[in-house]
Amino acid sequence: MTISTAPVQVGAEIPPAEPPGKRNRLFAWLIVLAGAVYFLLPLVTTGYWSLRAVKDTLGFEAYRRVFADPAFVESFTESVANAIAAIIVSLLIIVPTAYWVTLRLPRLRPVVEFITLLPFVIPAVVLVFGLIRIYGRPPLLLTRTYESSRILLVGAYAALSFPYMYRSVDNGLRAMDVRTLTEAAQSLGANWATILRKVIFPNLRVALLSGALLTFAIVIGELTVALFLAQHTFGPFMANLTRSKVYEPAAMALVAFGLTWAAMGLIAFLTRPRRKVTR
Amino acid sequence: MEAVDTETERVKVGGAQAKRRKGPPRTRLVSWLGVLPFFLFSAAFLIGPAVILFYRSLEDPEGGFTLQFWGQLTSDTVMRAYGMSVRLSLTTALVGGVFGFLLAWAVSLGALPRAVRSALTTFSGVASNFAGVPLAAAFIFTLGRVGVITAVFELLGVDLYRSGFSLYSFWGLVLVYLYFQFPLMVLVMLPGLDGLRREWREAAENLGATPRQYWRKVALPVLMPSILGTMILLFGNAFGAHATAYALTGGLLPLATLLIGQQISGDVLNNPGLGYAVAVGMVMIMAIAIGIYTVLQRRSERWLG
Amino acid sequence: MTILLILGLIMAACGGGGATTTTGGGTGEEVSPEMQTLIDAAKAEGTLTTIALPDDWCNYRGVIDAFKAKYGLDVNELDPGAGSAEELEAVEANKDNPGPQAPDVVDVGIAFGPQAKDAGQIQPYKVATWDDIPADAKDPDGYWYGDYYGVLALEVNTAEVANVPAGYGDLLNADYNGQVALSGDPLTSNAAILSVWAAGLATGATGTAAAEAGLDFFGQLNEVGNFVPIDGDSRTVGIGETPILIDWTYNSIANDVALAGNPDLETVVPADQRLAGVYVQAISAYAPHPNAAKLWMEYLYSDEGQLGWAGGFCHPIRYQAMTDAGTVPAAVAEQLPSTEGAFFPTVAEIDEAKAVIVGGWDSVVGVTVEPSGSG
Repeated sequence: MTISTAPVQVGAEIPPAEPPGKRNRLFAWLIVLAGAVYFLLPLVTTGYWSLRAVKDTLGFEAYRRVFADPAFVESFTESVANAIAAIIVSLLIIVPTAYWVTLRLPRLRPVVEFITLLPFVIPAVVLVFGLIRIYGRPPLLLTRTYESSRILLVGAYAALSFPYMYRSVDNGLRAMDVRTLTEAAQSLGANWATILRKVIFPNLRVALLSGALLTFAIVIGELTVALFLAQHTFGPFMANLTRSKVYEPAAMALVAFGLTWAAMGLIAFLTRPRRKVTR
Repeated sequence: MEAVDTETERVKVGGAQAKRRKGPPRTRLVSWLGVLPFFLFSAAFLIGPAVILFYRSLEDPEGGFTLQFWGQLTSDTVMRAYGMSVRLSLTTALVGGVFGFLLAWAVSLGALPRAVRSALTTFSGVASNFAGVPLAAAFIFTLGRVGVITAVFELLGVDLYRSGFSLYSFWGLVLVYLYFQFPLMVLVMLPGLDGLRREWREAAENLGATPRQYWRKVALPVLMPSILGTMILLFGNAFGAHATAYALTGGLLPLATLLIGQQISGDVLNNPGLGYAVAVGMVMIMAIAIGIYTVLQRRSERWLG
Repeated sequence: MTILLILGLIMAACGGGGATTTTGGGTGEEVSPEMQTLIDAAKAEGTLTTIALPDDWCNYRGVIDAFKAKYGLDVNELDPGAGSAEELEAVEANKDNPGPQAPDVVDVGIAFGPQAKDAGQIQPYKVATWDDIPADAKDPDGYWYGDYYGVLALEVNTAEVANVPAGYGDLLNADYNGQVALSGDPLTSNAAILSVWAAGLATGATGTAAAEAGLDFFGQLNEVGNFVPIDGDSRTVGIGETPILIDWTYNSIANDVALAGNPDLETVVPADQRLAGVYVQAISAYAPHPNAAKLWMEYLYSDEGQLGWAGGFCHPIRYQAMTDAGTVPAAVAEQLPSTEGAFFPTVAEIDEAKAVIVGGWDSVVGVTVEPSGSG
C-alpha cells in the first residue's frame, strides 16, 4: 500500500529532530521493567520461602518432596492432554462464531458476549454440580466411568475458556479487515469452509495463541470441577500435596509456574509464523 | 469453481464501504448454522447449569416455589457485597486495563527485541491464572507483616504497617488481583495492537500530526472497541474471583462470591437457595455491565464507519 | 509429611495391637455372623467413596490405609478439602449417579447432621458400639453420630511470639499486635465461628450473650490491631504471618509434629475457656456402596478405628468408654491434650450462638469497622 504524500500544511508543527523511536523505546523499557519488578518480586520471595524447609538452612528439601510423589508426572500429563483437547474444541467453536457474528449477525453480538461471559458469574461449584445433575443420571449419563467423566471435564473446560478465547479472537478479527478479506476470497471463488481455513485462521495466529495460552493455564490449574468429577488431574494433585504444609506449597507454586511457562513456550514456539507476514 | 457472487458489490480497498444489501437466504442460513455449534455447546455446558442455578434460587428447602431468597437480595449484607464486588472489579479492570495496555504497547510497538515480547506473552499466559492461595501466599511472603519487602522497608526505617499500609485491605486486594489482570489485558490486547498499521502512523506523521494527536485521533479510536471489550473481560474476571479474596482477607471484605461460598460451600451456613439467588443477581449485574459496554462499543464503532 | 505418616502408622499399628486383646478388631479375629455377612457384602461392592477426609486431619491417612489393608477394599477419596455444605450437595447432586463422583459417607460439622436428616440425604445405621457414644453427640434414630472431638486451642509460633498467651483474654495484649488470626471466615469455617463464641464464653457469659461478647471481643481485637484478617492455617503460622492461630488442638499438634521444629509450635489449651467441637459421620441415603459404607462405620467405631483417630491427636467419641474399659494404651493417652472442664454444647446451643455471630460479624468486625489503611 503506497503512502499518500499530501503536501505539508503551512504552519504545521515540524516533527522533533530526534527520532521518536528512541524516546519511545526508553519509555517502553521503563514500562517493561516496572512490570518485571511487579511480577517477579512475589515469585522471588516465594522462592526464598521454598528453600527454608530444613531449619536454619537453605536447601531444596521442599522440592525433593514435591517431586518424590509418583502422581506428579501422571497428573501433569493428564492435565496437559485435557488442555490440548479443550483448546482444540474451543477454537473450533469460537472462531466460526466470532467470524459470523462480526460479519453477518451483529445483532447477536450482545447475546453471544453475554453467554461467553457466563463462566465468570457461575461459580465453579455451581457449574460442576449442575453438570452432575444433568449428566449424572439417565438418559444423559456421562459420569459412569472415569473416561466418560473426562469428556464432561474437557467440555466444561472448553466452556470455561470461552471468555478468553472469544475476546482474543474478536480482537484479532477487528485487527484484520474481515469484510474485505472475505469478499476478496469470495470473488476468487472460495466457499465458507475455505475462507475460514485459508484466510481467517492463518490471520488469527496471534489471537489464537493468546486464547490457547489462557486456556492452557486455566486447565492446568483448575481444581473445583476436577475434584467433584473425581478426576486425577494436576490441580487436585497440587492441592493434596500442599494441604496444611508450610514450605511445599511455595515449592509447588514455583514448580507449577515453571512447568506451565515451559509448556507455553513450547506452544508459542510450535505455532510461530513460518514466513514473515507481509501486510 | 463457484460463480462470482453477484449479490455483493465490489468494494474499493481503503475506501468507504458501500451499503450492503442483505445476503440471500442461503447465506443467512449458513451464518445461523455457523453459530449453531456455539449455541448447542453453550446450552450443554453453560446454559444448562445456569438454568439449574436460576431454578434452585426459587426453590425452598422442601422443594416448593419461593421468592424469599430473591427478596433477601436487597438486604444490607447482600447489597454491600455487590457494591464491594463491583467496586473491586471496576478498579482492577481500570488499573489493569491501563497498565496492561501500556505493557502490550511496549512489547508490540515499542521497538523492543522480539524475545521480550515472547517472554511477556508466555509469562502472561501463566500469570493470568496464578490466583487463589498460591498468589495470596506469594504476596504475603512479599508484603505481609513478615514479608521480605516489609522487612526491607524496616531496614530503611519505615514501618509499613504502622504507617497505615495493610495488604489485608481493599487496596491490598487490588494490588494482588492485578497480578492476573495485567497479563490478561496484555494477552488479549496484543492481537488488536498488532492490527495498527504502520502506514497509518506514517501517514499521520506526514500530515503533520504529533504522536499524541496520532494516538488521540487515530490509534485509540481504532482500538477502542477492543479495549472496551477487553476491559469488560477484566471486569468479569475480577467479579467472579473468589479464592484469592478468601485467602487474603478471610471474609473481612464482603464480596458477592464470598457470600455465595459461605452459603453453598462452607461449614457454617447452609442456605443454598440464598447462595443461588446471589449468583443470579451476579448474572444480572453482568448483563447490565454488558449492556453498558455494548452501548459504548457501538458508539466507538461508529467512528470506524 | 513423612514424619507424620510414620507417626500415624505407628499409632494405627499400636492401636491395632491394643485392639487385638478386645473384640472387634484385627485379622484372624472372631467376628459375629452379622459382621461376616457385612464384610462379604462390602467386599462384593469392592470400593468405598469418601469425601472431605484430609490426610492429616485426625490421621485419616492412617485410618483409611488401615481399613484398606484390613478388608481389601478400594477407597476412592473425593475432594479432601470439601466443606460440609459441599459434601451434602455432592450427596444430593449425585443421587442417581452410579459413578465415582457419588460419596458413600460424609463427615460434617454437628450442626449439619439434623439438616441432612431433614433433607433426606442420609440413612440411619447404628454401629455395634452405638451405646458408647454419648447421647447428645448422636441422633436418637441413628442418622448421624459423633466421631471425634477436640478443643479449641491457640497454635503459637514460639519463634515469633516470646510471651506465649495463656488464654483468650491475653490476646488483647499489645504484645500481640498483628499476630492473632482465625482459621478462616467465621461465616464459612466451623472452627472460626466457634472460636468467636469461645472468646465470648471466656468472659464468663453463656449462650447467646457469650456470642455477643465474642463479637465484641473480636471487634476490639481488630480495633487495637491485633487481629490479622486472613485465612489462617499452618502455613501462615509457620512463616510467622499469623503466629497465633485459634484452631483445634488436633490440628495444632499435628502441625507441630509435621514441622519438626522448623519452626517450633506450642499448643496452648486456653485456661479461660475450653470449647469442644464434635464432628459427625453419616451414610448417604443414595450411597452406591451401602455395605462398604456400613463396614467403614463399623471400623471407625471399633477400638482400632477410634485409636487410629487418636493417632491424629483427636479424641475419639468413645474415649470415655474406652478409657473405662482400659483399652486405651498409655502412649496414646499421653499424646492427647487434656479436655478437662471442656464445654460440649448441644446442637441447639450452637445454632443459637451461630445465628448471633453470623448476624453481627459484618457490622461489628467487618469492613465498616475499618482498621487503619483499609479502603
